[in-house]
Amino acid sequence: MARYITFRVLATIPLLFAIAVLTFLISVGMESRGSIAIQICGDGATPECIADIENELGLNDPLPTRFVGWLGDVVRGDLGTSLANTDTDVTALIGERIWPTISIVAFSLLIGVTLGMGMGIVSAVRPGGPLDQSLSVIAGTVVAVPGFIIGMLLSWWLAVQWGWFDPTGYVSFGESVGGWLKSIALPGFALALPTVAIVQRQLRSSMANALQSRYVLAARARGVGRATLITRHALPNAMIPTITVIGFRAAAAIGLTVAVELVFGIRGMGELLITSIVRRDVTVLQGGMLVVGLAVALVNIVVDVSYGFLNPKVRLGS
Amino acid sequence: MTAPTGTTDNDSPATSGSETAADIAAPPDSPRSRVWRRLFGNPLALLSMIWVFLLVVAWIWPEVLATRDPLKGDPALQDLNLTPSREYWLGTDGLGRDYYSRVIFGAGFAFQSIAIALSIAIGIGVPVGLFSGWKGGRVDRVIMWCNDVLFSLPIVLLAFAVIMILEPSLVNAMIGVGIAMSTRFARLTRAVTLAEKEELYVDAARITGLSSSTILRRYIVPNLLPPLVVQFALISGAIILIGATLSFLGVGANLDDPDWGVMLSRSRTEFRRVGIWQIIPPGGALVFTILAFNLLGDAIRDSIGRDRSSNALTVSKRSSVKPSDRAHREGAALSVRTMDVEFPTQDGKPVQILSGVSLAVQPGETLGIVGESGSGKSMTALSALGLTPAPGQMTRGSVQLDGRDVTSLSEKEWQKIRGKDIGVIFQEPIAVLNPAIKVGRQIMEPLLLHTDMNKKQARERAIELLAEVKVPDPARRMDQYPHEFSGGMAQRVGIAMALACEPKLLIADEPTTALDVTVQGQILDLLMEIQEQRGTSIVIITHDLGVIAEVADRVIVMYAGQGVEGGLADDIFDRPKHPYTKALLESMPSGQHTDRLTVIPGMVPAPSDWPNGCRFAPRCQHATDLCRNEVPELEVIEAGVTIRCHHWQELQSPATEEVGTA
Repeated sequence: MARYITFRVLATIPLLFAIAVLTFLISVGMESRGSIAIQICGDGATPECIADIENELGLNDPLPTRFVGWLGDVVRGDLGTSLANTDTDVTALIGERIWPTISIVAFSLLIGVTLGMGMGIVSAVRPGGPLDQSLSVIAGTVVAVPGFIIGMLLSWWLAVQWGWFDPTGYVSFGESVGGWLKSIALPGFALALPTVAIVQRQLRSSMANALQSRYVLAARARGVGRATLITRHALPNAMIPTITVIGFRAAAAIGLTVAVELVFGIRGMGELLITSIVRRDVTVLQGGMLVVGLAVALVNIVVDVSYGFLNPKVRLGS
Repeated sequence: MTAPTGTTDNDSPATSGSETAADIAAPPDSPRSRVWRRLFGNPLALLSMIWVFLLVVAWIWPEVLATRDPLKGDPALQDLNLTPSREYWLGTDGLGRDYYSRVIFGAGFAFQSIAIALSIAIGIGVPVGLFSGWKGGRVDRVIMWCNDVLFSLPIVLLAFAVIMILEPSLVNAMIGVGIAMSTRFARLTRAVTLAEKEELYVDAARITGLSSSTILRRYIVPNLLPPLVVQFALISGAIILIGATLSFLGVGANLDDPDWGVMLSRSRTEFRRVGIWQIIPPGGALVFTILAFNLLGDAIRDSIGRDRSSNALTVSKRSSVKPSDRAHREGAALSVRTMDVEFPTQDGKPVQILSGVSLAVQPGETLGIVGESGSGKSMTALSALGLTPAPGQMTRGSVQLDGRDVTSLSEKEWQKIRGKDIGVIFQEPIAVLNPAIKVGRQIMEPLLLHTDMNKKQARERAIELLAEVKVPDPARRMDQYPHEFSGGMAQRVGIAMALACEPKLLIADEPTTALDVTVQGQILDLLMEIQEQRGTSIVIITHDLGVIAEVADRVIVMYAGQGVEGGLADDIFDRPKHPYTKALLESMPSGQHTDRLTVIPGMVPAPSDWPNGCRFAPRCQHATDLCRNEVPELEVIEAGVTIRCHHWQELQSPATEEVGTA
């Protein structure tokens, strides 16, 4: 197992490299449509200013040289300075904004996966039964509702109408643990509900396959009881495709948290990315993309490792 | 959010291939008409189609449906944020604009998003997938690795990158979404191409010199279409969702456009002050549209796919079993009397798949059940164990186990019997072992369930059992997983599991069918050895008369859900009474009639097509009008010797046989 985990961790290095290349290409793409130097110098750009900036940023060097230099900085944790606000260090900026986002995404995944798995198992036990039908209708509907709409509805009823939560804002973990939980609960749930639905649907379907398998029938013919058939025989096998889907959803949730943060006025990575696009602040956007890419790579490792735990073929095969 | 679209249905290796009871019971129907009927018979799918149709109308002729200008508000209504009224059906926004008209015009933006993103996604994804799958090897690995990198990134983020390079607009956002979605189509297309490439008819086409492009067009693209149509619908829903999210974030459609996402973005700043209604018209339109596309995708998939309403947990009803009128055999280890099993069908009239099946096996005896596939052998075994696959149901008959009536035991009571008093050995030994659980733990399972052994004792006993079934190096094998076993070794494990609690009765359903000929012999020898040592009764189910000849003391021949002849194995081989038994023997390659190896014309008909009279009549060369009209009863000649044929006595003596065939 240790060998397998090491192998999976090493296998994400090419993934991270590919993400770095894609991120670097954004600035290349932007320059092909107009020099960044002109943007920095502002409206009254003098040729001297432009030449200075181009020299400073090394914009005239050949692309591979620039990429290696940029990548070297990135690996050392230096994401450069913001173009819109030249005295702001991007690494420090992200370090400040990342915690609300991590809190919301992690909370939503915890809630979403737990509830989704519970509902999926309940549905699979009696497919077509009243419980399964109502759960499936709920899940089928929730899947179609974007997280930010759920966020607005939750905010309206639970915060504005009933006053259980603050409608906007984020309290850091350091300030107050209770306040932190309270401030991420609504955005977390908004992001979690579609996850619940997605996990429920996938687990229901793969449990249906597992329960129709010969090995479950054979176990039943050995006198194995219902609860054991579900939890010990069917569930581990049904979890294999479900884990993959949870991984996809985690990546999607990292992207979609942007809109939910906006609803709750939380200054996290989402607001940072959107502002960087509006201000054409490419270093900040690149920094944000790299951090998201890293998060996706971590999710991949977690998925691969859980996969190895569940599937002996994968664990022993490589 | 699009993740489950492709994955939900791709994980069914366990069920494919082996026919289920539902397949047996399904009425014949052309696949295409079934797809359409299921699709239109589904009210949700119908509603979804209507909603999408209305959207298309709103997209093409928004002026016809809209009541007001979507862009110009009434200055008098500024900041009033009206709720619905006769004049403003869905209320107004903060600028006094009519929500209903804006929602109508929003349909155009939704379809524009789908059109751009979907054509980019398919335009890139399908060719890449075809190329990659067709080329295979290293090219395929490199392309799919790059594809997976893009696939793993959040779609919103890829859209951000494209928007950053170009500039914020709905079209640019959708270019980004299209590129992201192309990875889904590439994966799907590649998977279908790879699968089709392995098909024999594609190989044949390649050998005959057809060009790659012709093969792709003629064989692969048609197989690609059904899953693609499902993906069109599901991905359209996802595109609308992401498009709205990007517009909501202010990097999609223009701030004045009547786009649903933009409207929601405006409501975001207002709803806490003026009320939740502000998000309902655009939010509702968005949700209904995504829902409609999802439901359509699901409905299309369901109408193509198989029925999954039952599984191995669904316990068949045993409440209304009519008793049998035949007496049980004295002292039998297992005795089944006139058992009927029925399956409900869509038209309400149940189909009988077992009709009056009787069998009995004495202690220490081997009973063989033989018949072609579709004759109901396996169903007989499962039903005798109370494992009739639901919605199938035993409707008549009586089952006795060692003198105890078990016909209508509850599932809980059955659990105490199965694995303890009866051991079952299945065909396809590898599929029968749980791939995620160590083999040793699976053998220990019945011991821990049915005896008071602790884990350590159960483990020791399991190692002994593996040694008894001649698995080499049993202690090491205990900690291995099923995929590390060959078919023959896996079947030994299956036997060890069945034997664990030393049951008095073993039921072996085609135990050697999936194995090599040499291994077959070893497994049969092992079964016989066990019987000699322990005096176990064995019921062995097979289509192979060779197996019967080797091991069975008594035989029951089954045809079309009925026992047609039963008796001592030697008698059946030497003096078969039923024309079907004779035909089976004649089709046996190394049987008594080596000079005239024949094939029985036709095959066992499906249960819904069983003839009214004798079920074998259409394939019987001796059939008369009596056979075609009257159901032959099972005649009991002496205990354990039975026959179901109108003419068996005439066919018995050589003289009358000549008359019969003349």
